[in-house]
Amino acid sequence: MIEHQPETTSGIPLKLLYGPDDVPADIREALGAPPGRAPYLRGAYPRMYRDRPWRIFQLSGYGNPEDMNERLKFLLFEAGETGIIIKHDRMTDDHLYDVDHPEIVERREDVGLTGTVTVGLRDYETILSDLPLDSIYAKPGGGVPQSAVYTLPSYWSVAARRGIPLEKLAGTGQSDFFLTYLGCPTKEQIPPEAAIRFNLDLIEWCSERMPRWVPVSIAGYNAADSGLSAHQELGAVMANAVQYLDMIAARGKVDVERLAHRIGGMNFRVSMEVFEDAAKLRAARKMWSDLLGQRYGITDEKARQMRIHVVTAGSAMTYQEPFNNIVRGTLMALFSVLGGTQSLGVSGYDEAMSIPSDHAHLMSIRIQQILQNEINLREVADPLGGSYYVESLTGELEERGWEFFRQIQDRGGFLAVLDDGFLLECAEENNQRIAVGMESGERAIVGVNTHTIDDPIMEVEAFEGRSGAETWEMAMERLADLRRTRHGRGAVEALRNLEEVCRNDSVNAIPAFMEAVSADASIGEIGSVLRETFGDWQVPISV
Amino acid sequence: MSEFGPSPLPPARVLVAKSSLDGHWRGVAVVARALREAGFEVILGGMLRPSEMASVAAAEDVDLVGINVGGRVEVVERALDEMEAAGLGDVPVFVGGTVPPQAVPRLTDRGVGVFPPGSSLSAIVDEARRLTGRDSPAHRV
Repeated sequence: MIEHQPETTSGIPLKLLYGPDDVPADIREALGAPPGRAPYLRGAYPRMYRDRPWRIFQLSGYGNPEDMNERLKFLLFEAGETGIIIKHDRMTDDHLYDVDHPEIVERREDVGLTGTVTVGLRDYETILSDLPLDSIYAKPGGGVPQSAVYTLPSYWSVAARRGIPLEKLAGTGQSDFFLTYLGCPTKEQIPPEAAIRFNLDLIEWCSERMPRWVPVSIAGYNAADSGLSAHQELGAVMANAVQYLDMIAARGKVDVERLAHRIGGMNFRVSMEVFEDAAKLRAARKMWSDLLGQRYGITDEKARQMRIHVVTAGSAMTYQEPFNNIVRGTLMALFSVLGGTQSLGVSGYDEAMSIPSDHAHLMSIRIQQILQNEINLREVADPLGGSYYVESLTGELEERGWEFFRQIQDRGGFLAVLDDGFLLECAEENNQRIAVGMESGERAIVGVNTHTIDDPIMEVEAFEGRSGAETWEMAMERLADLRRTRHGRGAVEALRNLEEVCRNDSVNAIPAFMEAVSADASIGEIGSVLRETFGDWQVPISV
Repeated sequence: MSEFGPSPLPPARVLVAKSSLDGHWRGVAVVARALREAGFEVILGGMLRPSEMASVAAAEDVDLVGINVGGRVEVVERALDEMEAAGLGDVPVFVGGTVPPQAVPRLTDRGVGVFPPGSSLSAIVDEARRLTGRDSPAHRV
C-alpha cells in the first residue's frame, strides 16, 4: 500500500523528520546575519520585541461617524490598542457612491454594516474628534485605490485644520491591488492603470511631505485569502512591488532607493497552516532584501528592510461553534509573532457572520496582550531560526515564490495578470482543491466537517449595529445638510479642477483631492469625476 | 411520461447572484462550479439589486435562484418581495453566505433554504435538485 503523502496547503510535501541536509545553502548563509541586518531572515530589527512590542492593530468600524468615534476612543483609551484603523462602509466608500445612489438605495439596510459611512469631510471631523492625531499611528482606510484618494486627503485635511503639520502625522495608506482587482472586485472600479497613477502620486506626495507615512501598502493578505497559496502570495507581492518601483523609476521624480523603504511596509496573511506561514514571513523579508539588492542595486541595508503587518486568516474562522475561533486566532497570532511581524490584527471569532462585536473585538486584543505579557514571547528574537523543518519550508517557499514571480513577469507583469485573469484562475483552482478536500473530509475543520454535534451549544448572535435602515437614514440627512449648507460654487470649482487634474497625468493629483474634500465635495461627487474620467474596469472573472 | 418513469427534464437553470455590494466571490465561485458539475445550467448575475434579481430571473426564465448574502437579511427579503411582485413567487430561492444566525428563521419561514459558510457542497446540490424536481435518479449526471 502506498502511504498517503502529506503536504502543506500550498502543496509542499512534508517529511516525517527534517535534518541538516534539508536546509538550503543560501538559507544557512542568511542565518548568519542577526536580526536587523540584511537579508533580514531573522527579523527586521536588532532587538526585535525587546525594544518594541508588535503593534496591536485591529480592524474596526461600523455605523455612523459618531459610532466609529466612540469605538475608536474605547479601543485607544480603554482597551489598550496602539494604533487605529478606520474601517469604512464598503458599499459607499469602496465604490465612492453617495448614499442616495440607486445601487445603495435598494440595499439601504446594508449601509454601515461593513464599516462607518461618510458623506464628506465633515464626517471625518466627527470620526476623529478628541483623537490626538499628532501622536497616534493611523490607518484611515482606503483599501482600494479610488477610495484612498478620498480617504487619505480627508484624514490629512482634518489634521491640517487642527493646525497639525502633515510631517508630524504617522500612519499608513493601503490602496491595495489584490483587494481591488482580485479578492473583492466591486461593482464599479477605475481600471488598474488609473489606480496605479494615483498610487504613484501618493508615493511621491508622501515622500516629499510626510516622512512618517507609508503611502501604499501591498496586501498579500488579500491575495492569500482570495485563494493564492503561500508561495504565490510571495511571488505576486514581489511582482506588485516591482511594478511600483519600475514605474517610479521611469517617472524619475523620486529616487528608488529612498522610496524602497516606504514600499517595504507590507501585509501578509497567516492562516492555520502555521509553520508554513511563519516561514513565509521569514522568506518574504529575505526575498525583498535580495530583490532590492539584485534588481535595483540598492546596497544600503536599511533601505532593504521589510516591515510586516499580519492579519490572521478570516477564512479560517468558522460560522459553526464560533468560540473555537478564539483558539484558532491565538494559534495564528502566535505564529505571526514567531515569524517576526511588526503589527498584528487577529480576526474576530465572529468573522464568518459579521464585523466584530465589541466582545469579539476585545477578545482579539486580549489574545495579543496575553501573548505580549504572559508567555515570555518578547524576549527572544527569531525563536524558530535554525529549525530544520522551518528553514526547509523557508527555502522551499522562497524558491517557489521566485518561480511564480517569473511566471508573472513572463506573462507581461503584474498589471497584465490582473487584467487577463491569470491570478483569478490560480486562486479559483486552489479554492476548488480546498473545497474538494473539505467535502471529502481530508481537510478536517473541527465542528464543521468533523466532531460535529447536532444540537449546537456554542451559539453567538451576529453583530448588526443599528437596526433596519437607521444608519442609512442618518447619512441621508447628513448628505442633504452638506449640500444645503456648503459653499456651493466652491465645491463645483474644486470638482472641475479635480477632473482636469485627473485627465492630466503629468501633475500630482493629491492636492486636487485635498481641495475637493476641503470644499465639502461629497464622496459620490468625487466618485462621479473618477467614473467619468476613467471608466470602469472589466472584471475578467470566470465565475 | 413513459412506463419506464418520468422522461428526463432538461437541465434546470439557476441564477446565482450576490445581493450585497461586498465583492467577495470565493464562495460564489465554488458553489457555481459544483452546480454546473451536477448538471445545472448556471447563469451568473454578479452583484444584483433586489429589483434586478427579479428582472434577471424573469428574463433568463430560471427554475431556481441562489443568492449569496454578504449583508443584511432585509435586502434578501426585498429581493423575495420583488420576485413575488413580478409573478415569480413560485421560483424557489436558496441563500448562502454570512447570514446572521438570528436572522435565519426569517428566511426559512418563507421557505428559503439557508447555507452558511462551511456548508457541504453535496447538501447544496441536493437541495438544488430537490427544489427543481431533479432529485429522482434519472436526473443525475
